[in-house]
Amino acid sequence: MILPKNYFLIGLFLLIAGGWSGGVEASPALVKEKQCDTCHRFSKTESEKSAPDLFFAGDKFQKDWLGNFLKQPEVIRLAGHTRDPGFSKGTPQYTGPHPVLNPKEAQQMTDHLMSLKILKDAPPLELPALSKGKRVRVKILFERDYSCIACHQSYNLARQPRGGVSGPSLIDAGRRLRPEWVYQWLKNPRQFTTRGRMPLYTFDEETLRKMTQYIMSHKKDSKSK
Amino acid sequence: MMAILIGCGQDPAEKKPSPSPSAAAPSTPSPAPRAHPVTQETRETYQFYCAQCHGTDGHGKGINASHLTVPPRDHTKADYLETRTDEHLFTAIQQGGLAVGRAPCMPSWGHTLDDNTIHSLVSYIRELCQCEAL
Ligand code: HEC
Ligand code: HEC
Ligand code: HEC
Repeated sequence: MILPKNYFLIGLFLLIAGGWSGGVEASPALVKEKQCDTCHRFSKTESEKSAPDLFFAGDKFQKDWLGNFLKQPEVIRLAGHTRDPGFSKGTPQYTGPHPVLNPKEAQQMTDHLMSLKILKDAPPLELPALSKGKRVRVKILFERDYSCIACHQSYNLARQPRGGVSGPSLIDAGRRLRPEWVYQWLKNPRQFTTRGRMPLYTFDEETLRKMTQYIMSHKKDSKSK
Repeated sequence: MMAILIGCGQDPAEKKPSPSPSAAAPSTPSPAPRAHPVTQETRETYQFYCAQCHGTDGHGKGINASHLTVPPRDHTKADYLETRTDEHLFTAIQQGGLAVGRAPCMPSWGHTLDDNTIHSLVSYIRELCQCEAL
């Protein structure tokens, strides 16, 4: 039984929802205006570019982190992007600094980027916190059995970042990445890239979850942001 | 116990090259014409994956090198590589450093590269060191 009053509420809701998406649509113009698409791909069908792909940004990033990054960019790939022509030689063409957006633009861009998804809406990943003992064991997997640390920065026991630089730094992954995306990446990175320099692994379900949780436990000390 | 705790990020004392099972077995000497020749694809594969650590010229000075606790092997140096069989090199690439008693900083590529590609990478390393197994 829907009363006329409810029709009004539904109408109001649609109006608001419509209003929101109207705001979001303005962003592709901002993408062009700021020339974000000279370096980044916003759709899978474009040919590869030498900056991170953004067509699955909504799957990959945490919204708060993304908003902050656009206003105050930080370096994540210490040796540059893997598709940068100078990457393997250690002389990347892109050396920054990354373009900066003002708060209003950043918010608009964040809303747009968070709407870009390729994963089917999977239920949120339930990850119990790692016990101390389990954490030690996953750390061994990360640093020894699977050589992850040879290419990725993470924290040591003294909370100093250390590790290789050819892969993106993981020291703030717990604020930056969504656990569901990390899980899918570890399961099969080819869902997101046709070719990547990271080795492929075949983890069992339990290891996938433990590894995802371990990566998500990496957070930089609270910043002044 | 320590051996289990030692990872690529810790400070493992560099181990003496321990003879791997495959090296210990008197395996077939490498015949002259290689069954898996070096192709353009082999070189590209090396540049794409291996150069991150072993460097674009194989000297072991890739972008990760200075961040690793054990330096990537210099693939142009014959004195070590001629003491290793092709099987040893194959297993190191396919299953990683740990599988041949070497450092865990050398990842395993068996899920990324097929056997033929790995064989051709062994041939390429032989080309770089201009050496064969003694
Ligand atoms: C000159 C090339 C260039 C332009 C223009 C550019 N970016 Fe970037 N962007 C990069 C590179 C290179 C990185 C990787 C930086 C790093 O990892 O340290 C990056 C990183 C990012 C990231 C983080 C991605 C990740 O996976 O870590 C986001 C989000 C981003 N850019 C959004 C934008 C937006 C939005 C614009 C337009 C306002 C823009 N970029 C313009 C080159 C560019
Ligand atoms: C040989 C180097 C190498 C090793 C070993 C490696 N990675 Fe990576 N990883 C990369 C590179 C390079 C990328 C960037 C994408 C690409 O080129 O594949 C990446 C991307 C990632 C990402 C996505 C990060 C982002 O911001 O886009 C995660 C998460 C990750 N790796 C985790 C791991 C874990 C966990 C392991 C061990 C099980 C591991 N990696 C082993 C090189 C490596
Ligand atoms: C993340 C860094 C890294 C990457 C990427 C990497 N290696 Fe290595 N590799 C090493 C390190 C470190 C060693 C030295 C291990 C030791 O001496 O204990 C090594 C050693 C080796 C060895 C000698 C094994 C031995 O007996 O010492 C071979 C052969 C080799 N790598 C081949 C390759 C090939 C082929 C690739 C690309 C498919 C590759 N590596 C990619 C780090 C790497």
